[in-house]
Amino acid sequence: MIQIIDYNAGNLKSVENALGLLRADFRIVKSGDDLDLNQKTIFPGVGAAGAAMRELKKRGFTRKIPQIKAPFLGICLGMQLLFEKSEEDKTKCLGIIKGEVEKFRGSLKIPQIGWNQVKSTKDPLFRSIAKDDFFYFVHSYYAATVEKFVIGTTDYGVPFTSAVRYKNFYGLQFHPEKSGSCGAKILANFCRL
Amino acid sequence: MKVIPAIDIIDGKCVRLTEGDFSRKSIYQQTPLSAAKKFMEAGADFLHIIDLDGAKEGRPINDEYTLEIIRKTGIRVQTGGGIRSFEQAEKLLSGGVARIILSTSALTKPKMLRDLIKKFGTGRIIVSVDVRDGQVALKGWLKYSKKPLSIFLKELKRIGITTIIFTDISRDGRLSGPNLPLIKKIMASGLQIIVAGGVTKMSDLQALNKLGIESVIIGKALYEKTIDLREAISKFSSKNGLAKRIIPCLDTKNGRVVKGLNFVKLRDAGDPVELGRFYSDAGADELVFLDIMASYEERKTLRKLVENIAQNINIPFTVGGGIRSIDDIRALLKAGADKVSLGTAAVKNPRLVATAAKKFGSQCIVISVDAKKTGQGWNVFIRGGRDDTGIDAIEFSRKMEALGAGELLVNSLDRDGTKSGYDLELLRSISLSVNIPVIASSGAGKKKDFLDGFKFGLVDAILAASVFHFGEIKIENLKKYLAKNDLTIRI
Repeated sequence: MIQIIDYNAGNLKSVENALGLLRADFRIVKSGDDLDLNQKTIFPGVGAAGAAMRELKKRGFTRKIPQIKAPFLGICLGMQLLFEKSEEDKTKCLGIIKGEVEKFRGSLKIPQIGWNQVKSTKDPLFRSIAKDDFFYFVHSYYAATVEKFVIGTTDYGVPFTSAVRYKNFYGLQFHPEKSGSCGAKILANFCRL
Repeated sequence: MKVIPAIDIIDGKCVRLTEGDFSRKSIYQQTPLSAAKKFMEAGADFLHIIDLDGAKEGRPINDEYTLEIIRKTGIRVQTGGGIRSFEQAEKLLSGGVARIILSTSALTKPKMLRDLIKKFGTGRIIVSVDVRDGQVALKGWLKYSKKPLSIFLKELKRIGITTIIFTDISRDGRLSGPNLPLIKKIMASGLQIIVAGGVTKMSDLQALNKLGIESVIIGKALYEKTIDLREAISKFSSKNGLAKRIIPCLDTKNGRVVKGLNFVKLRDAGDPVELGRFYSDAGADELVFLDIMASYEERKTLRKLVENIAQNINIPFTVGGGIRSIDDIRALLKAGADKVSLGTAAVKNPRLVATAAKKFGSQCIVISVDAKKTGQGWNVFIRGGRDDTGIDAIEFSRKMEALGAGELLVNSLDRDGTKSGYDLELLRSISLSVNIPVIASSGAGKKKDFLDGFKFGLVDAILAASVFHFGEIKIENLKKYLAKNDLTIRI
């Protein structure tokens, strides 16, 4: 059983559909009180950091999430919120992983929208993923973190952290639930962790 | 840091001057076009072209050579030399030049600068600040302004200029290295800087890269072979692995996929859910699902169908047709759509775009721009291409970006259903004027049309319907073809 955190931030349905295609059991958790600290968790998210943190607080998630013991997967905004702070709305985030979230600068289009490659480490989350596999990204911000936590990098003007891991907490900047068969493999890997 | 090779033209030939002195020039035996092609082979994706005759005469003289390079290669170009009037600037910008470079005229015609920025956006108008011993040079470096540099930079910022080219004339063509202390001082002004003049060795590039310079222009060092362009680009250019996207469009009516031939005659090509899954498996990067009659018949897109499709495919998915309100958008996103596309509603009610972008995020707001050639430019049409709004398509695109649109889906009504290729001029004009992804639509007949759309139209994604639905082009083959032609493609 996987619990999906619902804090009114976007693509819950896509994550449900992707898990549905994998025939994985899941439940939706709408408040911190309802969170099982020993259950695998997916933390999706699309939208702005400021509003998301306010909503998480309102629903009693902010203090509970860092205590989760089971494998935890933050996706997109859900990954960014795991860090200390975000440049977006100058937001203080969950502070589980050391690092800050910054906005893309330079001449490339913002947001980055589309498929890009991830140079990944041998983490079990990337089992049977090839070097040239593509994943779907939609974001204007990216995380700058400590190198030892980086399990995947991607080039978009700058090389940025597209996958991160600290203990049981994983974060993916791309959307595995929207990344076709490669994304499905990653979600299946997560289910098997 | 972008490494931009320079081409200086006198009398249709590539030349290099020393310290801007017309009597001390080296003429290189190649045409601007062949120089451009050589630079592209070395990996350049941006050129700096200066019309030196133009700079001297105060009007563009060699601009046809620049436009020819763009027409034949599709490369992005910034160009300057003698651009003094709004009309001269407009001709180049409408002809596909990415950025025009103004110098003398910027000081004396602030109104023209403001007008150009208003029409084309600040990113396409750059000012060349040429300095010798702290003085700003005018007229092809033959005269000097009395205004101090710092005042000049402040004035540019106030007018709305965000990027300048900084050239230290005393270093230009001398192969003596850039003036780093002065560059640092200018960077403190908050302007984006493109450095030109004096870049001689790889170590100069290294030093500029360390300063955090946006772009650097290299001229004489390439011709004199003190810098190898290929090496410089591969070492200093920022890498971008983002793939160009191929998007099949499922135009539907009554729950079935159809393809409008100029939006009139309808053909039936199958079940949307089946096709969605088929395309996802075949390598489509995204899907667009448009209820083409919705806006005409005042009908809402079928939510149930969206749910079915979303449950069966795991690639991104856009829904459009007849969306009028925040509630419509919320319902479709909730049903599983990743993005919604707004057409008529965005024209009639631009505030909806701003509200939706704020509420759901720019990433899920796609604006469909239905454009048709009208006189000089293109106008936006609504209600499935029936009504001319009289609104300029480029201005509309920039306005939508400002309101928070995440992507633009540009549909040429002239090309729809004709299979005669994309309207490359329209696409290039819009792509160069906005900083959000542009998706091309309407006109694909063969694989080369897609390649041209990316190469000359400069789009980020291409959408097509009937060539896919009737199996005339297979997505797998198309993607292999595009990858073979040096595009980044997800295969």
